[in-house]
Amino acid sequence: MNFDLLFEKAKAKGIEDIQVYFVNDSEFDIEVFAGELEKYTIASTQKLSIKGIYNSKMGTVSTEIISDDMIDFIINSIIASAEAVDSLDEVFIYEGDKKYQEVSGLYDTSLENVSAKDKIKNTLELEKKVMANDKRIRMVQAFYGEGSKSVLLQNSKGLKLNKLVNNGLCGVYVIASDGKDQRTAIEYEQSNDYNDFNFEEIAKKGAERAVALLGAQPCDSGEYEILLTNNASSSLLAPHMGMFSAEMVQRDVSLLKGKIGEAISSNLITIVDDPFMKKSTKSGAFDDEGVATSYKELVKDGVLTGYLHNLKTAKKDNVKSTGNGFLRGIIPTNFYIKPGELSYDDTVKSMKKGLIITDLAGTHAGTNSISGDFSLQASGFLVENGNIIRPVALITVAGNYLTMLKDVTGVCDDLKFNFGYIGSPALKIKSLMVSGK
Amino acid sequence: MLGRNLIKKVLDAALTTNADFAEVYIEDKFQTDATMLSSKVEKVDNSKVFGIGVRVARGYHTVYGYTNSPKEEDLVKLASDLAQSFSGETRNISFELGEMKVGNAHTIKILPSEVSIDEKVDLLRRADKAAREYDKEITQVMIRYSDYVQKIWLANSEGTYVHDTRVRTRIAINAVGANEKTKQSGFNGPGGHYGFEFYSDIINVEDVAKEAARVAITMLHADECPSGKMPVVIDNGFGGVIFHEACGHSLEATSVAKGASVFVGKKGEVIANKLVTAIDDGTIANAWGSATYDDEGNLQKRRVLIKDGVLNSYMIDKLNAKRMNDECTHSGRRESYRFAPTSRMTNTFIDNGESTFEEIIAATKYGLYAKKMGGGSVQPATGDFNFAVGEGYMIRDGKIAEPVRGATLVGTGAEVLMKVDMIGNNLLTAQGMCGSSSGSIPTDVGQPTIRISEITVGGTKGAN
Repeated sequence: MNFDLLFEKAKAKGIEDIQVYFVNDSEFDIEVFAGELEKYTIASTQKLSIKGIYNSKMGTVSTEIISDDMIDFIINSIIASAEAVDSLDEVFIYEGDKKYQEVSGLYDTSLENVSAKDKIKNTLELEKKVMANDKRIRMVQAFYGEGSKSVLLQNSKGLKLNKLVNNGLCGVYVIASDGKDQRTAIEYEQSNDYNDFNFEEIAKKGAERAVALLGAQPCDSGEYEILLTNNASSSLLAPHMGMFSAEMVQRDVSLLKGKIGEAISSNLITIVDDPFMKKSTKSGAFDDEGVATSYKELVKDGVLTGYLHNLKTAKKDNVKSTGNGFLRGIIPTNFYIKPGELSYDDTVKSMKKGLIITDLAGTHAGTNSISGDFSLQASGFLVENGNIIRPVALITVAGNYLTMLKDVTGVCDDLKFNFGYIGSPALKIKSLMVSGK
Repeated sequence: MLGRNLIKKVLDAALTTNADFAEVYIEDKFQTDATMLSSKVEKVDNSKVFGIGVRVARGYHTVYGYTNSPKEEDLVKLASDLAQSFSGETRNISFELGEMKVGNAHTIKILPSEVSIDEKVDLLRRADKAAREYDKEITQVMIRYSDYVQKIWLANSEGTYVHDTRVRTRIAINAVGANEKTKQSGFNGPGGHYGFEFYSDIINVEDVAKEAARVAITMLHADECPSGKMPVVIDNGFGGVIFHEACGHSLEATSVAKGASVFVGKKGEVIANKLVTAIDDGTIANAWGSATYDDEGNLQKRRVLIKDGVLNSYMIDKLNAKRMNDECTHSGRRESYRFAPTSRMTNTFIDNGESTFEEIIAATKYGLYAKKMGGGSVQPATGDFNFAVGEGYMIRDGKIAEPVRGATLVGTGAEVLMKVDMIGNNLLTAQGMCGSSSGSIPTDVGQPTIRISEITVGGTKGAN
């Protein structure tokens, strides 16, 4: 599409400023099951999202048909959409920052240099490797996926920015059975360098985790000291990241409202938003509004230092945008609890009587980001005098997220990111309420 | 749109190697979303979705590709690239695409495209006003309106050639109540396979908003829920999410075919209390999860999953039918052209029993009454599920007592099916979005009021 023509026609129709956000995506995914390639997906797609200011209101539209024939439709949609909006918030098309950070390591050619055939072969072997680990492994699904994305952001104020990122994900979903009980585990690694994938390690960890939970039973109800593993902690952080959004604060639905400068957690906790992290598709020098991104510690040694902003919320609070204005709203880039120095194994040994929580289910439903209360189905291991006694399942752990962060007594050194680049190390917590038998 | 000749060329290109099945899915969708917050219209967004998905299979091994490009050279290249993942000689499958069949099982009176944005936005204003007037403790109301017209064309190497149009609309209201102690929210989000007539003929926006506000205020003044094992009465409507999550997903071929479901090989066996009959019905007129055709070009139908406690049918798509050596139940669904179809639910519910609501409460000495359920999730391999209770009350001496919040129900699907010991006669359905490997799709859940004799309740208050 001829964007200059779009900008020109929009101006003639009274649209004061206009911005296009043009994404080209490509994708390759495989899944193997029972020694055969089961799923194979290739895709290439384009999407154009446009916003424009008309009578001081923002109108938006998006289309997957990208041609000059769509220009009239785009302009009419922006005007109709802007006319319906009655929010009084000031709206912006950004002229750009003076400087954007050079971010390296976002695109790696190693993914395209390995042939599809070799990727399939390695994934098939990965399945076999998991099976070879333990006789009780009943089923394995091994998967590999990669994607690349190019972004062009261009507006009528003369701003023009580009970025190119790619990423791969390799992992296994494992079902183990001892004849009576059946348990599952998922294990994966993500990187944009194919050489980073350690198939032996993924297979070993996936198999171990599935087998370890066999025979799990509920434990007695009561209060327990808790060790939340890195996987479990990042899955619990994810539904609570909204409370750091200035939009949620301004809507009065964030627990962090009015708490800048206050201790909101144990002083062991530092929470980071890092847009410059290598090998992550969430990284980049600019957000979807064209604002330069920045590294920030939103919680530093337990003290809340600020919120995530886009242009609109920043204007309201009279601060600078933090570069977190994305099409999907105000969201972090690579968001994580900073690792500490404790080793995971030593932390287990330090527990007298407690629970290791390895998995939390239904975090989208069992959490309430407005109150911070959660009550979640969990599984893991019972620990006594530093030794793992037995696996535990079908229990719920309940508490309040901020209270839990205040009760953190140890932070491990094993930071791990989930699929959405939200990460955490394992956390030791004074206590949580457990409901079992 | 892509003509029959072009579609045929793409299918032929997909069959140049040893594959035995090829399919083209074309989607053209126009969607309008509007959101209101703090009594102001925040955003109105139109989006045009267009793309083509090509699926090629040999036996039950499939490859899938998709693109936005309607150009012949791009589509033929995509089909040929996909064909390359199957080795061997072509099978020379010969077929013709006949007359295109057009789906028309669900009547639409007012197409959303014929309604102005102003009229749509007016619904937001009415809902906002009604929710705020319900109680002065309602401090925030978030409302989301959406409608879409999704046109799909599907053709395959068996000669299937169909066109279906899905028109859906929904209004979702989230009311927040607050006092100095806490904040609680209430949700209500009705929708259907309707045009704009939904808001004049089927629902009243003010009533919908008041109900969301009522839940928020009730929970604002609720105690924390105790934990432990107890009988639980789950009310009609969205309470059906228990069946959807705990049993429905485990009856989908996606998990059954791989042996990853607890219900594998149980057809004809008793898997539930004999009071339980459960149905998945994609033909219900204008229901949220209905359509004329499924996303593999087969006519939607009614499937009796469990009859008087006995497992009667799974939900099976075309390719899993081959893997399972069972009949396809026309259950192939997908969110969009970006997903290959797989077996999915449509409108899934537990059928009516004979007890009245009053009888069920009166028969329960002590327990939890879950009037409104929140969302949940299930692990298909184990059947372990959990879901949140949105509005709950304690039952004491056969009477509904004080409201409680923060409860979660935890159990396994197989266990709960056996422990259902009373079923009401007040079947009601409610709308949800269901996420799985073929994307997020509209599904109805439903049931009459049911009682589970004993289940683990996780509460924030500790053991009773």
